[in-house]
Amino acid sequence: MTAGARAPAIWKVAIAGNIVSVETGEVEEIPVKIQMTRRAVLACTAAFTAVPAFGQDTWPTEPLRVFVGFPAGSSPDTLARIVTDQLAQRLGQPVVIENRPGAGGVIGVQQMLVSAGDGHTFGTTINGPLTTAQRMMDSTGYDVETDIAPVTLIATSPLVLAVSADSDIADLDAFIAAAAADEEAIAYGSVGQGSGAHLTAELFATEAGVSMLHVPFTSYAEVTTSILGGEIDAGFMAPSAALPFVQAGTMRMLGITSAAPFAQAPDVPVLAGNAGLPDDFRAELWNAFIAPAGTDPDVIARLNTEITDIVADAAVQEQLLAIGWQGAPGTPEDLRERIVTDTAMWGDVIDRVQAQQ
Amino acid sequence: MTTWEGLLFGIGFVTQPEVLVYCFLGVVLGTFVGVLPGIGAMAAISLLLPITYYVTPEAALIMLAGVYYGAQYGGAVSSILLRLPGTPQSAVTTLDGYPMAQNGRAGVALFTAMVSSFTGSVIGIVVLVLLAGWLSRAATAFGAADYAAMMILGLVAASTIGTARPAKGFAMVTLGLLLGCVGTDVNSGAQRFTFGQTELLDGINLVALAMGMFGVAEVIANVRNPARQGVMEKIGLKRLMPRRDDLRRMALPTLRGGALGSFFGALPGTGSTLSSFLSYSMERRIARQPERFGTGAVEGVAGPEAANNSAAITAFAPTLTLGIPGDPIMALMLGALVIHGIQPGPMMLEARPEMFWGLVASFGIGNLLLLVLNLPLIGIWVAMLRIPFNYLYPAILVFLCLGVYSVRGLTFDIVAVAGIGLAGYLLALARFSPALLLLGFVLGPLIETNLRRAFLISRGDPMVFLERPIAAGFVIATVALLLLPLWQAWRRRARASD
Repeated sequence: MTAGARAPAIWKVAIAGNIVSVETGEVEEIPVKIQMTRRAVLACTAAFTAVPAFGQDTWPTEPLRVFVGFPAGSSPDTLARIVTDQLAQRLGQPVVIENRPGAGGVIGVQQMLVSAGDGHTFGTTINGPLTTAQRMMDSTGYDVETDIAPVTLIATSPLVLAVSADSDIADLDAFIAAAAADEEAIAYGSVGQGSGAHLTAELFATEAGVSMLHVPFTSYAEVTTSILGGEIDAGFMAPSAALPFVQAGTMRMLGITSAAPFAQAPDVPVLAGNAGLPDDFRAELWNAFIAPAGTDPDVIARLNTEITDIVADAAVQEQLLAIGWQGAPGTPEDLRERIVTDTAMWGDVIDRVQAQQ
Repeated sequence: MTTWEGLLFGIGFVTQPEVLVYCFLGVVLGTFVGVLPGIGAMAAISLLLPITYYVTPEAALIMLAGVYYGAQYGGAVSSILLRLPGTPQSAVTTLDGYPMAQNGRAGVALFTAMVSSFTGSVIGIVVLVLLAGWLSRAATAFGAADYAAMMILGLVAASTIGTARPAKGFAMVTLGLLLGCVGTDVNSGAQRFTFGQTELLDGINLVALAMGMFGVAEVIANVRNPARQGVMEKIGLKRLMPRRDDLRRMALPTLRGGALGSFFGALPGTGSTLSSFLSYSMERRIARQPERFGTGAVEGVAGPEAANNSAAITAFAPTLTLGIPGDPIMALMLGALVIHGIQPGPMMLEARPEMFWGLVASFGIGNLLLLVLNLPLIGIWVAMLRIPFNYLYPAILVFLCLGVYSVRGLTFDIVAVAGIGLAGYLLALARFSPALLLLGFVLGPLIETNLRRAFLISRGDPMVFLERPIAAGFVIATVALLLLPLWQAWRRRARASD
């Protein structure tokens, strides 16, 4: 990492990192670490990304910390716990989940970077903080390209287009016809401005050539209540949020945004290629394991191997499916590529949305 | 399963020794996190979550629920003794509970809080058992316009409580509304007053605000004022048991508070904070001597405490019958079920009746345990006031910082609580009521979001507030409430001129 125009910000982060270490009672370890990294510090002007060269045989020497930008009990948190439970066994060191909820997951990534530097600090995050947050927020305080080292994609989740079971709209064609009848004839709910649900709906609207009224909420629970109460017409929802209501007969799913049918709801048609939508229509949320830039490449390689192994396990895949995630491990390069393509794709959608406002 | 079968089944389930132990652990832990300023049920349940992987889902839910409603009991303790609401819901209890403690009636105030909390919970349980289905239908029947109208009524009804000067009350509510604007606007996504701080994107931390306004401000005030330190050592020792007069005064407010709370608790998102404020303002409005409120009226403790406890119980109605969590803590508890492979949703009640009835029965047992646990503790809590202030206050500040930090794990919030505390002290010097600031802060963003959402959905048509029967009812009640003083004044003048 080079110290360019962003150097002052980096220093601030480095200082904050020390404060955090003092709080966790690791006061004595700090001078030691500084000594160990002196050569690295000299080599690299930005001190906080410099990490001692842990060999594969020695790492991990202490418990791992994994930052999650969502509260305990949330879907991204549960996913992180499923993976790190296995990871701890494989690495022979405890893995501590640090929940730092807020700002759509951005705070979790920030806090990971603040605490970085010991070679044992990592994070899991959904796609937002790595792809759209830079566009939606004044400043995230980090640069995805230079501050984040991808480890692997863990899992993806499509979104389903859901309506109330009482709705007149029976299928996707009827939905598009209803939406095309008038400007903003259909009101749909999302979990916030710039959320995956919002951007997916706008992408859908553009591709289908319709315009819908966006009603932002803050959680799928609120969106569900509003759909069931007949206040809004539809919502792009996480399958795990919609499925219980579909099973109870109070909601209907019209389509799914993944390329192939979703294992949890195989009879729901994919949107791609249907009702006039292009064949490559695909919109997925994802969850990834990341490290601070500067983490030893050997460590990243080791983590990638372990996590890909864990996610390939059938039992783990089943656990992930139960909370709506489909295991999708890959290489660090795959993840980097996914970040770049999704940033570009959603960037276009955000441009259109902002132009309309 | 009929109601009776279900209840019997639930009682049988909860009285298994193993389940009882988890219920007991939950309510004890809840009491303590409620007492400790700033450390709320949310933080405690987050910490407990990994432990619940190793127990049965029913036992886990019963324990976590115990923490949730147990914290409502504990929250009253520090509100009454130290003017330090352990939870935001119990901020109202400081209004009369603390003056009671200062008058040497801390024991009576605590007794009132405990008995009212218990009675409120019982009302909540009865309502939940008999009307769970109806309550959850009410939850989906409420749209954005209805919420907006209801909360405006709440704001109008409660905006003059806790202060002798209405203008000062309005000023604090308004300040609270303004502070509530900080953060990302839900409707537009705009970042308001965040000054580039990511920590402010989700708004000012409610716990930091409550702890700063009440806790830190109170500590500064006491350190600066030696006279108050003296009072601290004397109060509370005079009497522990209520007089017959107290019992008579607390009976009806408790029942009314319980009824009010069991309705508002079932509505997702508003819950116990609104119901305790509404209960207080209702009691003051119908009291024969409203001027007693704020100086240590038993009714001002009994009503709100019954309201927030019954709300904590009925809040489970939409959560259990619809699988729709009413607040973040409920969402967390449902998350605990997901980990056990149970998908919360409308089918849960049918698929796992033992979950619903076991939980309902555990509410009864848990509240009984809380009452039995807390009544003997009153003496100990009151004795806490005899701890010399030079030990007590630093300890309070430490717990307070821990509590604030436990919410999001951000040092930013600790700095915020210090700044807010200083501001709170200055406001207290000028005799502004921090409880009203909190009310504005809690309701403001909800009103704004729902009001704008209602207009969005109605495509800008204001008639939505009159066409929807629920919204119309609240609008009419609000207008009546605003016109009432005018009408009274007009009648007085008319009589005077006769």
